Amino acid sequence: MARQTINNAKLGAFVLGGLLFLILLLYMIGRNRSLFGSTYLLKARFENVQGLIPGNNVRYAGIQAGTVKKIDILNDTTIEVSMIIETKMENIIRKDAITSIGTDGLVGNKVINIVPGRSNAAIAIEGDLLATKKALDTDEILNTLSNTNKDVAIIVSGLKSTVERINNSSALWTLLSDETIPADIRNSATNIRLATSKASMMTNDLHAIIGDIKDGKGSAGILLKDTAFAYNLNEAAMKMRSVGVQADNLSTQLNSLVSGIQNDINTGKGPANSLLKDTSMVNKLNKSLDNIQMGTDGFNQNMEALKKSFLFRGYFRRQEKQKEAAKRLP
Amino acid sequence: MSIRSDFKSFLDVCGELFRFSLRFFRHGFQPPYEFSEFLKQCYVIGYKSLPLIGLTAFIMGIVLTMQLQPSMADYGVESQLPAIVAIAIVREVGPVITALIFAGKIGSSIGAELGSMKVTEQIDAMEVSGTNPFRYLVVTRVLACTFMLPVLVMLGDAISLYGAYLGVNIHTNTSFNLFWTQVFDNLVFGDVVPAFIKSFFFGFAVGIIGCYKGYNSSKGTEGVGRSANSAVVVSSVMIFIIDLLAVQVTNIFGY
Repeated sequence: MARQTINNAKLGAFVLGGLLFLILLLYMIGRNRSLFGSTYLLKARFENVQGLIPGNNVRYAGIQAGTVKKIDILNDTTIEVSMIIETKMENIIRKDAITSIGTDGLVGNKVINIVPGRSNAAIAIEGDLLATKKALDTDEILNTLSNTNKDVAIIVSGLKSTVERINNSSALWTLLSDETIPADIRNSATNIRLATSKASMMTNDLHAIIGDIKDGKGSAGILLKDTAFAYNLNEAAMKMRSVGVQADNLSTQLNSLVSGIQNDINTGKGPANSLLKDTSMVNKLNKSLDNIQMGTDGFNQNMEALKKSFLFRGYFRRQEKQKEAAKRLP
Repeated sequence: MSIRSDFKSFLDVCGELFRFSLRFFRHGFQPPYEFSEFLKQCYVIGYKSLPLIGLTAFIMGIVLTMQLQPSMADYGVESQLPAIVAIAIVREVGPVITALIFAGKIGSSIGAELGSMKVTEQIDAMEVSGTNPFRYLVVTRVLACTFMLPVLVMLGDAISLYGAYLGVNIHTNTSFNLFWTQVFDNLVFGDVVPAFIKSFFFGFAVGIIGCYKGYNSSKGTEGVGRSANSAVVVSSVMIFIIDLLAVQVTNIFGY
């Protein structure tokens, strides 16, 4: 019977060992899934949860804070994620904290990252809805990278052809390997040095000239510095001004004269007015002109009579012959 | 023997095994219970198997880790080695390897023991003396197998994980604390519970097949050897069939 008791003790230890390990396993897993211990619930709404599943971890500033409890589709663009948060975070997570969906490593499980907000909002309580931020999608990153790669490839091929052209360019290599160029450059440098020394001398001269001008030497100096000259100039200017004043007077007088004449003409004094305005005079003139015309008609008749008289016929014939000779000659 | 008679004998065995199982359930849940014999069998079947199971589990943990390490390093996820080894051990390697070793040790011993009792007509003598041999021999052994194998699987998992910890430390310097955290961060109930439940079925299969083969042993010492042998073979195959069913059932439930 004693042997049986020993057997039982060993058997008991064996079975208990197995059960303890089972319980430990289940407890450790349960603790990680936040099944034990006090928790509270926070929510966040996303447009795309990128493969998040219940049980994924929730991290606050990188520290394990809880797990995703469930994911509900509210409508076609809103997905609500409920998170179980451990009570130890109760006094830390604020209402303005921002949640985003990230990845644990490059290819790991999805995680929800909660980062603190800027302001000192109130502490988040059970059931609060936290703000969300659209996370960088790996696909988008890879797309951008692919574009960048293409650009880099284009740039590299361009660089390659440039380098090839440089390598193939004999002119450049001649330029680089030509030993006369350094000597030339040295000569140029010497010339430049000479030029600068000359320029320096020139500046000194200029300096001296400016000094002379300041002292009133030379015509420029006189122009700028001589007070008598300035007085003369001033006097001349004043004279010119007085001439201008006189010219002004003259033009005023002329103006009054002209206006007087105009007035005379308009009011009917003098011959000019009668010439321009008197209609009786016009009649008289017309009569005189008629008389003159009649007088000349009479004179014409007298002349015709003269041509026909024998006394003067010879004279007229001679005159016609001279005209014909003048026509023939040229 | 034609294929047809082979097939008929296979169906015969299946039918008999099913009736044997029904008989176990009919007798197993009716008093009087042979409790002290059950404890004795638990001691023999469970406790006495622990050294063997422990050794194989320990070696399995180290070997699995060392085999996975180069591939994991190739993919640049060597840091995930504890997690993947833990999942492999808890989900599949632990229960199946333990059950196979258990089948080899216990299945054969039950088959041989009951076979020799049958051959030497001890079972008949028991029946004459008024003890129900089925209840005394079969029910206690099958129950002991069913309840001890899960315990062995759990202990085997623990020892395997310790082996894995040593295996991980061959190539990297991982503290026990980090190993522990990584293992339990990546295990879920869906890994542990189905594995734990299926190990009951493994234990039951090993016990019932061993008892059936021994109880129906043919006469002569040759029959004892054959029943021991076929108990191991059939129960090993049965373990794989149950495993196949279990993985499908767990997939249906989404684990």
